[in-house]
Amino acid sequence: MPYSEAFKDHLTNPRNAGELADANATGEETNPVCGDRMRISLRFRKTRIEAARFLAYGCPPTLVCGSVLTELIVGMSVEEAMQLRRKDLIDAVGGLPSRKQHAAALAIETLRAALSSGWGKPTFPT
Amino acid sequence: MRVLGYWLAKFAKGGRNQMPEIRKVYLDHSATTPADRRVVEAMLPYLTEKFGNASSVHFFGQEARAAVDRARREVAALIGARANEIVFVSGGTEANNLAIRGVTEASQSKPGASAKGHIITSSIEHSSVRGISDELEKHGWEVTRLPAYRDGIVQVDDVRSALRPETVLISVMLANNEIGTLQPIKEIGAMVREERANGRKLKLHTDAVQAAGRIPLNVETLGCDLMSLSAHKLYAPKGVGALFVRRGVRLIPQNVGGHQEREKRAGTEGVPGIVAFGAAAKLAREEMVERSEHDRRLRDRFEGGLVERVQDIVFNGDQEQRLPHLSNISFRFIEGEGLLISLDLQGIAVSTGSACSSGTLEPSPVIRALGRNDELARGAIRFSFGKDNTDQDVDYVLEVLPRVVEKLRQLSPLNKVSGFEFQVST
Repeated sequence: MPYSEAFKDHLTNPRNAGELADANATGEETNPVCGDRMRISLRFRKTRIEAARFLAYGCPPTLVCGSVLTELIVGMSVEEAMQLRRKDLIDAVGGLPSRKQHAAALAIETLRAALSSGWGKPTFPT
Repeated sequence: MRVLGYWLAKFAKGGRNQMPEIRKVYLDHSATTPADRRVVEAMLPYLTEKFGNASSVHFFGQEARAAVDRARREVAALIGARANEIVFVSGGTEANNLAIRGVTEASQSKPGASAKGHIITSSIEHSSVRGISDELEKHGWEVTRLPAYRDGIVQVDDVRSALRPETVLISVMLANNEIGTLQPIKEIGAMVREERANGRKLKLHTDAVQAAGRIPLNVETLGCDLMSLSAHKLYAPKGVGALFVRRGVRLIPQNVGGHQEREKRAGTEGVPGIVAFGAAAKLAREEMVERSEHDRRLRDRFEGGLVERVQDIVFNGDQEQRLPHLSNISFRFIEGEGLLISLDLQGIAVSTGSACSSGTLEPSPVIRALGRNDELARGAIRFSFGKDNTDQDVDYVLEVLPRVVEKLRQLSPLNKVSGFEFQVST
């Protein structure tokens, strides 16, 4: 499966790369099997995500998932972000081959870790 | 309306034409090389008017037979062998299969032979040799995989101490396909000769797929009994290779049902491919010095320029004892596949030995064998130069690569984690 134009664009020009100095919440996760890592930092304004940044180490889908996810969640309410699933991200990326879908799983896990750190103990959909 | 349509169409067409075309730089000559035009010209008549089956008795067949024999002499000359010691096969993988399976099976077919024997190989072999050794092990063979240490070179003393009375075959590559390090085949060959003088029946095979055409090879000097070659690594088409089988070495054919290739490989010879291989072998022999000096100069310029422009890089494998066209570099804090695809989007083709699939990471086994940690193994990229690369290609890569590395490093959490240590060795 060839990567989409949107995928290539995110890889060449990642959005929201870096860390927020004034973050309200941060999360970091590692895929213990392949060693991919992601860190997400969020800044809230009332109950909305006002800004998001990511850092990622791993194969291209992992980098792209970080970029697409942060773009997706800015402007969302915390409640909406909590409802995001792996499939939503895969769709937003323009599809991922099955052997690369773990990249989307890592991004969602990292987002949830960040949301948990800044928002008590939310319950996430399975 | 029609006029507007015309101008719109013209503008759209012009716009397309003005799109800057991305420069394409191919730095993956260890994966494959483009066929040389002279090689293609030599081959073409054997697809059309000279189409005979080399086994046919009539004129058409004899014309093809003569061409195959000429090619056999050229391939033999490239490695200092006799023409009748060359068996044409489909490529390097088949040559390795025929050599290792053929010799191990032959050792069992002798009366009074022990049930299963022992072979010695290295931990940095090409996947085909690794696959065959694993398969033999499943069938009861004992396999010793020698370490390659930090410099990516097998030690002759290790080969000697791994020898057992039941050792049938030693298979060590001539030059590694990922890092280009040259293995001490000449020294292993001398040891094998010594052992044979003491009455031991031991054979030496070397996979010379990466080395052939790039450095001078001579099977007499090296003292090997079998040598694998592949045409598409030396500017000939894919689908053809050869196995050198020293006269007197017995092997069981893996393809049966025909008398071709002196009963060692049944099947109609792929005449056009073989003719191309012969032409390419001749050119490689004639132009070897010029080509390797060209490749080495570009490679060294690239490496020198990169060291000036990019921090935190680690060169993999011994820097002296290696092929002249190849450079393998680990870029700290980033992952090879991301770098590979980002370079590809800029028109630069390189390769990585690591593969990430189904969430399971397989860092390059070769780089891991050098004692590098997973991060360095994942960040390893192979740049392999060829005769058609130019100084402008090197300039372009030196302009693009540092930018791409910097961008990926900005994304990486690794260079920002305190206490995260790599096992760096230079």
